[in-house]
This record gives sequence, structure tokens and C-alpha cells, in this order.
Amino acid sequence: MQITFTVNGEERELEVTPYTRLLDLLREDLGLTGVKEGCGKGECGACTVIMNGELTASCLVPAPQADQAEILTVEGLGTRDDLHPIQESFVEAGAVQCGYCIPGMILAGKRLLDENPEPTEKEVRYGLSGNICRCTGYAKIIDAVMLAADKLAVEGSDSSD
Amino acid sequence: MKKFGRGLATIMFGFGYGEGFPDHSIASIEIKEDERIVIRTAAADVGQGVITTVIQIAAEILRINPNYFEVVQGDTHKTKNSGSTSATRQTYFTGNAVKKAAEDLLANLYHYGSLEFRSNHPEIAIEDGKIYMYDDPDDYISYWEMAERVRERGKKLEAEGSFFPVTYSPDQNGQADKVYVAYTFLSQVIDIEIDTDTGTIDLLDVYTAVDLGKAINPKNVEGQIEGGTVQGLGMGMMEDQVIRNGKTLNAGMTDYLVPTSVDIPKFKHYLVEEEDSEGPFGAKGVGEPTLIAAAPALANAVYDAIGVRFFDLPISPSKIKKALKEKEKEENS
Repeated sequence: MQITFTVNGEERELEVTPYTRLLDLLREDLGLTGVKEGCGKGECGACTVIMNGELTASCLVPAPQADQAEILTVEGLGTRDDLHPIQESFVEAGAVQCGYCIPGMILAGKRLLDENPEPTEKEVRYGLSGNICRCTGYAKIIDAVMLAADKLAVEGSDSSD
Repeated sequence: MKKFGRGLATIMFGFGYGEGFPDHSIASIEIKEDERIVIRTAAADVGQGVITTVIQIAAEILRINPNYFEVVQGDTHKTKNSGSTSATRQTYFTGNAVKKAAEDLLANLYHYGSLEFRSNHPEIAIEDGKIYMYDDPDDYISYWEMAERVRERGKKLEAEGSFFPVTYSPDQNGQADKVYVAYTFLSQVIDIEIDTDTGTIDLLDVYTAVDLGKAINPKNVEGQIEGGTVQGLGMGMMEDQVIRNGKTLNAGMTDYLVPTSVDIPKFKHYLVEEEDSEGPFGAKGVGEPTLIAAAPALANAVYDAIGVRFFDLPISPSKIKKALKEKEKEENS
């Protein structure tokens, strides 16, 4: 079946089967490998995307449900040479080790800051709690999101750009 | 009721394979004409940061900005053995191999510099990617130009370094001259609060002091401490693999719980730089040692809080509640 959706600002039209996972569609068909498969059952957060403004485990979404949706993956946030303030903050805070959870963490951080630009540390902890990380112990990831909140406040810009 | 507890644990950790195992690492560095310095090493970076670390080491020895470096990793055609990323050994072993290669290369920069300037090496300065005579800094040869001149001589501006320390198997009394290349020491104090109604442990603060010789990249070291400690606390508090008849019954993140961002404590680190080993700039390995003290320190904190000793992990809320009930019964009888 045919679906149409917007990924990282670009409209795409794709032929999918009813049982294709959104995760596979993004990774295999569109090459957006920043979307990671961790547990494959919605428990770890590695495959997180922002779909219609909500954090979504893309491994649990049948592709047809993405019809007409607007999807943001980490690739749509910034580029290597032009990082989004959240990505910049992750680098500066030393928040990345193996990196596997990081695309999901960054999107969870973005979703949190979109809704709550001045979060307390506790709110950041809760905002990231659906994403599991085994390397970092989370402390520097929490620091990074707090730092990003400061940066975005200074920029005074809309973090959704 | 909430009960506060504080626990301490101290560990030592002999790193590298040790015990006479032929543990070693080989690395090479090449200065290219196109303004790149290429380090070749098979050391696998799994997130701990060995690639950053070896670039820092080589840049320090070769007196040039780290931005010029790139690393060719783990390719059997292009790299030689660096040993495994295990046993907390890469900073020490591959760090030393890279340091030796960089020292050899620096010596060759002096060598070719003295040929080009027809002078002795004490007259020659090497700094910021430039080779020149002390009395005429403006007339310099860049590393890149030197690479070209060396190529014209039919050679490459490259060097290889290997690090192959000797260790010995302990005898039947556990004695030997040197069983491991060096030892990392770590002490950890953990503050907790136990809710006696629910049996849950709240992690408050973790204070970690680690004698690591030298922190080549302090932020990476902190990352290792935080990650290792949280794994150790997971083991201490919640991680419980249930196996029946050879099958894991809780093979998923909803029933095999690992710590999340809401569970972790606040950290404070003390990096003790004693430089007492043959590691690069005195550095010692810091990966695995960061995990070991957490669970025993936690168990001591639990004892401090509620006066109960636990001898098996994890110290789960149900075990704490059961122990508190038994304790109450004993006290009332």
C-alpha cells in the first residue's frame, strides 16, 4: 500500500506492506540509520522518533499508521557541520560514549525542551527516563540537556527550527 | 519511615591480562604531505574513548594540534594487533605503543631536520608542526613539507611503536615479581535513603576517589566512573536474571530492570594522579575498576541504614521488606 508522510521536512511517498515497521522503513528504505533498534519492543527508547510532536518508539508503529504523519529523526535536527544546540551540548558535556542510545536521548531532550524550556534537573531526569543507556550512567546526558536549555534560552530562538 | 545510610568500599584492580600472557599492542603513525597525521591501531573504541586518548598522546609528543590527526581503526590489512578492548588495558597498552611510535617519529623529525638544515639536532627546534633552526624561526620546514622531502629520499615519514611488558604467573602461594603491569585503586562512599514502608533504596550521593596515575582525558574518566558505578548499582539494587530450566524468564527491559535516569545518584569525583606506573604519562586503566566498589559500598550503606547484612544481590525492595519484618519479629520476641 502507498503512504505519504513528511520526514525531516521532506515529503516522501512510499510503497509499504501493512506489517512493515516504521523503524525498518526509516532505516532500510530511507537510510536514516540514526534510528537504532535496541529491544524491538518499545522498552529501551533507542528507536525513538518524534512523530506528530510526540516521542514515539518507531519499532512499535506499523508503517501505514505513519500515513500523513510528520516525523523528525536525529538526522533532521542538525548536520555534522551545523549541530543543533542540543547536539552541541551533548558533545560539550561529554555525554556520548558508545552512542547507540544518543539519537533517542537527543530527541527525548528536544521533546522535553520544546514543551518545557526551563526544566528542573528532576524534570530532565523524568523526561529522559524512557531511554535506556548502559554506558554513561546518565549524569552527563542530564547535564547536556540542562546545558541545552541554557543555550536555547540565550539564543532566544524557537527550538523547533 | 526514611532511614539514611552511608557505606564505603575500596578495591584494587590489576589490569591488563598479566600472569605471563603475551599481552601487547602495536601502533604506527605517519605524517602525510596533505596535512594529515594518521595513527594506525586495531584498538577498538567501544565508547570509552581510546581513539581520543591516543590522539591526545600523539599530539602531545609530536607538538602539534590534535585536529590534524585521524585514526585508522581495526583493519587487518592496515593495522597490526593492538589486543582486545578488555581487561582495562587499551589506554595503558595502546597508549604506550602510540607514545613510542610518536617518540620515534619525533626523533626522525630531528634526524631529517638536521639533514635538511645541515646542523646538529640541539640547534633545531620543533614546535606547532614546524621544524626550524633556533636562530632563524622564520625559515621553517612544515611537517607536511618534510613528509614530501622524506618521500623524495625514497622513504616515508612514519614510525611504529610496540609495547610488550613482561608479567609472571603467580606461584602456588600467589607470589610473583609482577603479576599485572600495574594496579588501579578506587574508594567509593555511597549515601542512600531507605523507605522502610516500601523497601526501596534512594541513591543520594556517590563520592569516588580513584588513583589512576594520570587522567589523560578527565571528562572521559568521569564518564567511565559514572557508567561503571551505575552498572554496579544496578547489580546491587535491581538487576536479577531469573533462569529456570535453562531459560531466562525475564529477558526484557520491563522485567530485567536496569537503572534509568531517575534512579542515578549525584556524583562527585576525586582523581588522584600519583603517576606511579609505566603507563603513558603515568596513566593507569580505569574502566572496569569503576564498577567493582559500588555494590559492596551500597550493601554497607544498607547495613548502616537498617542494621541488616545482605549477602546476595540484588538488594531488592522485597528482600529489604522481608528482612525488616524478620528483624522486627526478632526484636519483639
